[in-house]
Amino acid sequence: MSNLVGIVLVSHSHELAHGLADLASQVAGAEVRVEPAGGGPDGSLGTSGDAVREAIARADSGQGVVVLADLGSSILTVRHLLEGKTNGHIRLVDAPFVEGAVAAAVMSSAGQSLEDVAKAAEEARGASKF
Amino acid sequence: MVPVSSETTVALPAGVALHARPAASFVKTALRFRSQLTVAANGKAANAKSILAVLALGATGGTALRLSAEGDDASDALQALAGCVSGLIE
Repeated sequence: MSNLVGIVLVSHSHELAHGLADLASQVAGAEVRVEPAGGGPDGSLGTSGDAVREAIARADSGQGVVVLADLGSSILTVRHLLEGKTNGHIRLVDAPFVEGAVAAAVMSSAGQSLEDVAKAAEEARGASKF
Repeated sequence: MVPVSSETTVALPAGVALHARPAASFVKTALRFRSQLTVAANGKAANAKSILAVLALGATGGTALRLSAEGDDASDALQALAGCVSGLIE
């Protein structure tokens, strides 16, 4: 449904991306599109540009997409994919993977802007767990 | 309107901790308002609009939450938040 900011989770691991998408959806509610893109094309550990592109397309309902990536080359994969697309509609954020995903999903579920959803993910870096 | 500040205290229903879905429901309510909203429990205070801060309170069922608001819609925000807390289910 709806005009909410989408979230894409890029991980080297299929299980990690899917598990985190489940967690973020469970907390924020099913109305937010949280799309996992994890693992290489053959199911091994790795990242796939095609999988990321498809996840972004699924997540995008017109209000923009925030992309979180786990480590190293998953960042490079996203950057490579977004090269030249500088209109800011798809935003790769520098954020802790788990906390950033949950914060972004909840912010999106409240109908907040791409700017605010991205900021919530990035601010997760400074959040204490207890 | 002149910014106002006010506060109220409301207890979490027995058996409902402020985690995951209940916390998200609380934060979503807070995000509907312009006021600066704070929730305090167990000697800690959190921005009521931040899911991570609210989760970090670790508030368990029955805990008294002190809600405070500052801004032009402060009283509406407190009323909505207190109503949200009372109605939370696991």
